[in-house]
Amino acid sequence: MKQNPEYLINEMSPQLHRGPDWLKAMRRSNRLGFNESKLPPRGIHLWRYTDPRKFMLAVDQARDSDFAGECDTVASTETEHVKKGRLAAFVTDLGGRDINVLVSPKGLPNGVTICSLSDASEKHFDLIREHLYQLINRKTGKFEAMNGALWNDGIFIHVPDNQIIEKPIHLLREAGRENSAAFPRLVVIVGRNSEITLIDEYGGGSPDRSNGISFSNGAVEIFGAEDSRTRYVSLQRYAPAMNSYFTHRAKLKQNASMLTIPLVFGGELCKQSFGVELAGEGASSKMYGLLFGTGRQHFDNHTLHHHSAGKTNSDIDFKVVLKDRALSAYTGLIRIDNKARTCEAYQENRNLLLNKGTRAETIPELEILNEDVSCSHGATLGSIDEESIFYLNARGIDKSTAVRMIVGGFVQSTLKLVPDDLKERLSEFVATRLEAI
Amino acid sequence: MSESIQRQNKDLQALNQDYASKYGFHDPVDYFHKGAKGLSHEVVEMISRMKKEPSWMAEKRHEALDIFYSKPMPNWGNNDLLGEIDFDNIYYFMKPIEQQQDNWDDVPEYIKKTFDRLGIPEAEKNFLGGVSAQYESEVVYHSLREDLAKQGIIFLDMDSGLREHEELVHEYFGSVIPSADNKFAALNTAVWSGGSFLYVPPGIDVKVPLQAYFRINAENMGQFERTLIIADKGSRLHYIEGCTAPVYSTNSLHTAVVELRAHEDSYIRYTTIQNWSRNIFNLVTKRASAYKNATIEWVDGNLGSRLTMKYPCVNLLEEGAKGEILSVAFAGIDQHQDAGAKMIHAAPNTSSRITSKSISKDNGRASYRGLIKIHKGAENCKVSVECDALLIGDDARSDTYPTMEVDNDQVSVEHEARVSKVAEEQLFYLTSRGLSEDDARLLIVNGFMEPFTKELPLEYAVELNRLIQLEMEGSIG
Repeated sequence: MKQNPEYLINEMSPQLHRGPDWLKAMRRSNRLGFNESKLPPRGIHLWRYTDPRKFMLAVDQARDSDFAGECDTVASTETEHVKKGRLAAFVTDLGGRDINVLVSPKGLPNGVTICSLSDASEKHFDLIREHLYQLINRKTGKFEAMNGALWNDGIFIHVPDNQIIEKPIHLLREAGRENSAAFPRLVVIVGRNSEITLIDEYGGGSPDRSNGISFSNGAVEIFGAEDSRTRYVSLQRYAPAMNSYFTHRAKLKQNASMLTIPLVFGGELCKQSFGVELAGEGASSKMYGLLFGTGRQHFDNHTLHHHSAGKTNSDIDFKVVLKDRALSAYTGLIRIDNKARTCEAYQENRNLLLNKGTRAETIPELEILNEDVSCSHGATLGSIDEESIFYLNARGIDKSTAVRMIVGGFVQSTLKLVPDDLKERLSEFVATRLEAI
Repeated sequence: MSESIQRQNKDLQALNQDYASKYGFHDPVDYFHKGAKGLSHEVVEMISRMKKEPSWMAEKRHEALDIFYSKPMPNWGNNDLLGEIDFDNIYYFMKPIEQQQDNWDDVPEYIKKTFDRLGIPEAEKNFLGGVSAQYESEVVYHSLREDLAKQGIIFLDMDSGLREHEELVHEYFGSVIPSADNKFAALNTAVWSGGSFLYVPPGIDVKVPLQAYFRINAENMGQFERTLIIADKGSRLHYIEGCTAPVYSTNSLHTAVVELRAHEDSYIRYTTIQNWSRNIFNLVTKRASAYKNATIEWVDGNLGSRLTMKYPCVNLLEEGAKGEILSVAFAGIDQHQDAGAKMIHAAPNTSSRITSKSISKDNGRASYRGLIKIHKGAENCKVSVECDALLIGDDARSDTYPTMEVDNDQVSVEHEARVSKVAEEQLFYLTSRGLSEDDARLLIVNGFMEPFTKELPLEYAVELNRLIQLEMEGSIG
């Protein structure tokens, strides 16, 4: 791995010279944002549990030969699904180098665009300029600026007004193997009264620490216009020796609704932030997360629901299951602005600790700036209670099966919200992680 | 029902004057000693010399002052308000009288007047075992019922405690809260004066509450009382403190340090009702260490002050220890109550419960900031946290910042928080039964506070209800 002692993004980075002049200027501004900002201080709670230096890696961009085998397996089944019309489209993004779009034979509704960000910067420049960097930019944070400067290529999805895409669109983003870095980026614009379901899958990375680790720093911006309906599933299943950083931001206009499902399984160190701004009256956001940690995995997740308009509502349920010596830190913030009247907001974080040696931290925060709200949050941490196990034992079910049943029940309510073709794979993810019990 | 409420209301209204006339008075005083404003090693030296302290204490003070200088201000809480504190414009030591009194009649007239207006000797007569009244930096009046003194209970102001029981103080002073704990604990250690020193010998059950009353009278005054309470094996005690100050245009500072040690099988309840005037910065460090099967209860009411930053803490150090924190905060106009609770589970089979209630009114801001830490090996711990916030007024603000850190799996931790306004249906129900909207709102607020008020001795409960009524006055909309 190439270590750059000053941790500066230098002018030599080829990405800085790509795209139209506007884009070059934005990249440079983000580069400046990264180079000039200090590392986030550990004192503030968002960085209390994760050392920012772990993301200060100067590594090579992913090379062609670097992609893992699982990528091909997923690609071939998903290609089948597209052909059979079970998916509206399947997009592969190999380390930000090749963006390939495969569309179902039935085609996409009128005017829907799925292409690479670089294509979009030429063909849909106005849309790009209006949306790219709007929600995630150098002001969001140091590592967001890093992605803003260095993303190589990304995915652009635009659904014009009044179009419903019935089947899910699956995005497969593959990071390179050891000693590589990936900077995936995605912009999604959902028009008025339109509907979309996205599965955003992140895989790849170094399978073995002894050969070196890999790094990924992703950014996703989603815009929901009036009355739009968006479902966004983020599946993170990186290889064991991956340090990943990920920022998701969405902005909802009047009566727009959004369902966000963060599914978190992979990597050695993973810090993610999911944020939705409810910026128009009647907007509603639901976020149902599921995290399963094993071994010595370290997870640090943040959710943000920012109510900047009145009559909006939000709901978060973030479930965590930990095994072996895994650690999960969860911080969640609900902020309701002074002018955002008559809002409802709920937040729940449940942590199931399956054995000694696991660690869970939770900081569910509320900042409420007016009285006309109904708001609550809850957090629990604990092991499976002995009585439940005893109850199942007494009915002839052995202990490890009982544990599996109870964990299965715990994650069920989240899994059932996931689009069908993903459900099976997810159940497998959970099952393999429970096998060793 | 409504008739009795109206009658009760009338009674309350008769008692009801606003803070300025009830507690906000200040009496002109000729101080026996009034140091210069500002903080320096000379001031610390002067305090120590006047108190004729042992040299180890003087050293501790100087050391703490250096720690205070070296530590940055907290970068959380309310930075704008904290930035308003001008440490150079504060009196760090004022001595109102030369000798401490144990007979109420001997207390100088002007101080007696102050405490009479606050009802101190009355309360003592009625139900207290001992009482201590602190005026500015020094305790001016002190008494302990004779039968309690005979049992070996030591209840003194901290200065006398240091003089008469130097060994105990040397052993325990700073053992729960070291000087380097935080900037304000360091400040207190450097310039502390007054406070209570309480020791209950093994097996003694103090059945009546022991009380201290803290009063700031002068402008730009800093009060830095230091309290140390030790409950020896199997003993039980209840300590109550109240605080007020007059209304001035410039700010005063109250920075106390309170250390509790509950030895095996002992029980300590520490009740505070602070009703500082709205220009006091109230930055207090309170912490307790609970040993085997000991119980600590913090009952904490925060009404006044400009900014309160106070997070009572219990260290559960040995098996079977129990901690409970029950707190209410009322944030009115321009106030920020940044209060909370900390429970550190360092031993197995320990349990804790936190109940926090807050009311934010007008542009007031109430924050709950908490920490639950369960260390490795502290198995079978049970924790439950409940935060309720009530918002009254369009610009009221409520924050909840809980932190839970769990390092083992054999635990049960629950946290719950709710934020809401006074429900329209409840108001409608009560007004349709003939209550005015104001009365209905007050009744609902009192109901909201009920789990807290019912834990207080009667006198204090009545006082608290009265204070809440003051705060609620004219709060339609």
